[in-house]
Amino acid sequence: MRILLSWLEDFVEIKESPRELADALTMAGMAVDAVESEAGETVFEFDITSNRPDAMNHLGMAREVAAIYRRPLRAPSTACAESGPPAASKASVEIQAPDACVRYVGRVFTEVEVRPSPDWMRRRLELCGIRSINNLADLTNYVLLEIGQPTHAFDLDRLAGAAIVVRRARNGEKLVTLDGEDRDLTGGHLAICDAERPVALAGVMGGQATEITAETRNVLLEAAWFRPSVIRNAARRFKLFTEASHRFERGADWNAAPQAADRIAALLARTGPGQVLPGQVDCFPQQPGLSPIRLERADIRRHLGIQLDDAEVEGILSALGFEPSSDSSGWSVPAVSHRLDVERGIDLVEEVARIHGFANIPATLPSLGAAPELTPLAAEDARMRAAVRGLGYDETIGFAFISSDEAERFGSGDPVSLRNPLSQLWDVMRNSAVPTMVRALEWNLRRNQPFVRLAEFGRVYRRSEASYEEPSVLTLGASGTARQASWAEPAREVGFYDVKADVAALLAPFVPDAPSIVTKGVPSYYRKKHAAGLTSEGDVLAWFGELDPELARERKIRQPVWVAEIFLDKVYGRGLRRPTHRKLARVPAVSRDFSLLVPDAVDFASITEAVGEMPDLDGVEPVEVFRGKNVPEGSYSLLLRAWWQRLDESLTDEEVNEFAAEVRSRLQSRLGIATRT
Amino acid sequence: MSIEHKTGRPIDELIREGEDPELLYEELRAAFEQERSKASTPQQGQALRDRWLGRRSGLLSATNDHWLKAAPRELKPVVGKLQNLLRRDLEAAVKAVAEAAVQEQAQAEPDLDATLPGPERARGAVHPVRLALEEVLDIFRPLGYTVAEGPEIETFFYNFEALNFPPDHPAVDEMDTLFLKDGALLRTHTSPCQIRIMESKSPPLRYVVHGKVYRNDTPDATHSPMFHQLEMFAVDEGITFGDLKGTLEHFVRCFFGPRTQARFRPSFFPFTEPSAEVDITCPFCSDGKCRICKQTGFIEVLGCGMIDPNVLRNAGLDPQRYQGFAAGFGLDRFAMLKYSIDDILLMYQGDARFLRQFR
Repeated sequence: MRILLSWLEDFVEIKESPRELADALTMAGMAVDAVESEAGETVFEFDITSNRPDAMNHLGMAREVAAIYRRPLRAPSTACAESGPPAASKASVEIQAPDACVRYVGRVFTEVEVRPSPDWMRRRLELCGIRSINNLADLTNYVLLEIGQPTHAFDLDRLAGAAIVVRRARNGEKLVTLDGEDRDLTGGHLAICDAERPVALAGVMGGQATEITAETRNVLLEAAWFRPSVIRNAARRFKLFTEASHRFERGADWNAAPQAADRIAALLARTGPGQVLPGQVDCFPQQPGLSPIRLERADIRRHLGIQLDDAEVEGILSALGFEPSSDSSGWSVPAVSHRLDVERGIDLVEEVARIHGFANIPATLPSLGAAPELTPLAAEDARMRAAVRGLGYDETIGFAFISSDEAERFGSGDPVSLRNPLSQLWDVMRNSAVPTMVRALEWNLRRNQPFVRLAEFGRVYRRSEASYEEPSVLTLGASGTARQASWAEPAREVGFYDVKADVAALLAPFVPDAPSIVTKGVPSYYRKKHAAGLTSEGDVLAWFGELDPELARERKIRQPVWVAEIFLDKVYGRGLRRPTHRKLARVPAVSRDFSLLVPDAVDFASITEAVGEMPDLDGVEPVEVFRGKNVPEGSYSLLLRAWWQRLDESLTDEEVNEFAAEVRSRLQSRLGIATRT
Repeated sequence: MSIEHKTGRPIDELIREGEDPELLYEELRAAFEQERSKASTPQQGQALRDRWLGRRSGLLSATNDHWLKAAPRELKPVVGKLQNLLRRDLEAAVKAVAEAAVQEQAQAEPDLDATLPGPERARGAVHPVRLALEEVLDIFRPLGYTVAEGPEIETFFYNFEALNFPPDHPAVDEMDTLFLKDGALLRTHTSPCQIRIMESKSPPLRYVVHGKVYRNDTPDATHSPMFHQLEMFAVDEGITFGDLKGTLEHFVRCFFGPRTQARFRPSFFPFTEPSAEVDITCPFCSDGKCRICKQTGFIEVLGCGMIDPNVLRNAGLDPQRYQGFAAGFGLDRFAMLKYSIDDILLMYQGDARFLRQFR
């Protein structure tokens, strides 16, 4: 909104420089975006919040200036010479929809002549960004900018019956608005009608049939007050956003309507030619009730932390157009029609605070109040994030939207669909974070990144009976080399066991014993036999493996990509394992190696299980796994190392030899594994 | 007869043949000096040591056996002294040879190039939004704030109605808000969590709520349909606008630098009254002449205010008894400001080249 300094000066004295004034208004809540100098005029560009329609004009802004500096406000002059028969004898106004139109003021001008406006008026309009049209149109725009009241001029001679009837349109009625569009009206629309038909869309735009033309001689001027919701709905319905609808939908002032009509009359009488018929045709069936507002003295201190003098409070409120009357505990303040946003004591506290100046309220700190509550799962989350970083995964965040196709391929159950999606590729909330990760991997592979490690902490979304669930999931993505390439080490491609190791490392702080590996039930978007899950006490804590190469190919990914999903709610729910110190042995462990020929059907887990519960056994590890040359078909060669240890004494060679014999015998008898020689 | 041969014979025999113990040791010393002069590599140094000082077969071990032990009683003191003197000198000489050899070899070796990079170790990046979040949380946690996140799929009531939005507020429109097919919606701000917490906990409350929020915005450099918001609020008896000011002044100084000043400008939000926008003095320039503050010297960073009594009431708290303040801002914007990121969409592409800048 553009405001001219000289126009403000019509209503209030201003001693400050434009910059000072702009700062003062900004700090009172009227944000000045720019101060410009144009053709010798100072123009302020304001960004006015939607709750302050009263300030979207020069008089309203002058009231703010008057309040800030406690200077008197001068109202625009409405004095004018009237002549001829009373206006009421030339035109009639009737409100048939008093719920939607609270007041309708008509003014009648005769013997007008449509011609250009005087230069001073054109200049002000143009500086405010309004194109000059003719003296009558310009008058309505001028007063809109001055007082904030939208008005409309009808060609009185083209109003059937010289009548205005404000009523709901009838289904099937039509109106050609000033922009030349045919508008189909229905019973929901508030129309300004003459004796026969709609002539304007109330509060939004006039109609062509009754507009001012070069031939217009007699004018009926409308200054009305419409309920904001009625105008907002009409503007939206017709996608017609005008200066008038902008004001009305934010709330105009019903007492400004007669003032605006008189102001136009006065200006017309001054700039002429035209005759102002005596009196207004003011249809105001029932003044809306305005409740008195209580402002308690104690509440000012309670909300702001400072006590203000009564004189200061009353000075501010009076300058803003309120009439406070004080009593022992505070003030009774009648609500005013130009500030419909002020309804409660707290609203008055705000008015007092902003004019007193937020800067003048001393900064304090609240006391702690009570012992702070610990944030649930904060430690778990911090530990997990640190571990993910430590493993070299770069944290990414992806959009939570995916396509329904993706939802079907990667998720299960009914996806959560959007009613007004941004695009068909984003029409559901993700029920799996894997497609998001695959997109990010794809993005990087297309940019020739040789080493990609990504991790996303996010949610997936699904229906749960009448409501929704948003479980947290950590998704890992890996492709390319196992480590960043270096001159010092040969490069190796990342593989299944790298991802498994990472997932296991991330779960370790939460799962006291090694989680079990499952290969059944792995989702189908993983490559068959190249994926697995980690479970503990029956819960799947993670899935991980290679992305199904078919899915990868569809996305133009031509190298293996690895994905892992860690279900954080389940993992965090187990809590962080509390480490417990175990005594360290005083003597080193003793090891024996076993060169084994293992049938393919026997996996490593069964081997550890078979030897696992031996006394003094400290651990078994696979040292080498080999297939091919010199290894019979259907089996593999495994070099297994077992460690034994006793806390306080050395094991003798004979004891360890016995242990080793026991290992060989168990492997032979339970699993049919031969020891190679 | 070579001196080496002589060491293998008992000294009394040699004396009988006319040898003098002192001269014998001189001869031995001369032989050592000659060999020593030829030893230059560590291997040669070791060989010299083995040949002369070796524990079993070294020449000095031979003289010890054949000369000293076999010496007639009257000569023992003399031979013993000579033997010890020689051993001492030889040990020192051998050690010197070894050290010189090591030093020489080290000089001959090419220098290691300390400027070559070591193999890159794994270290993951923290997403810039998360980085900004952690910084903010580190400021509020010591002030006694608890951290919460809340659901992203919200009801109309929590997202708008309870927050005092009039039913025909523009934000309620499909133009701005993403709705689900059943009428639920994606939260447009983190404020619904305020209500949820006020409903389920009793004051005093000190909370930081953060998380993803959604708007029906077509993506471009400054708009993203999904972004991150953070909101802090305190509800208690006796909380004032002054407390809000003090808390946020502390916050912006911690986050943007100790010289940052906050300016509280009256504004309007449905859920706070009084409401304010907070501008900070531009941390990027001291003269108000940079692009980031658009030559104004101030940057608008957050919105705040005293929680509207209607909101307290909607959440089941008595507004006559309790007051609260709340402040909210976009974490993406804070991260963009702080880390000079000029395009919000970089945040959500997962481009490793971008992310690794935040390691």
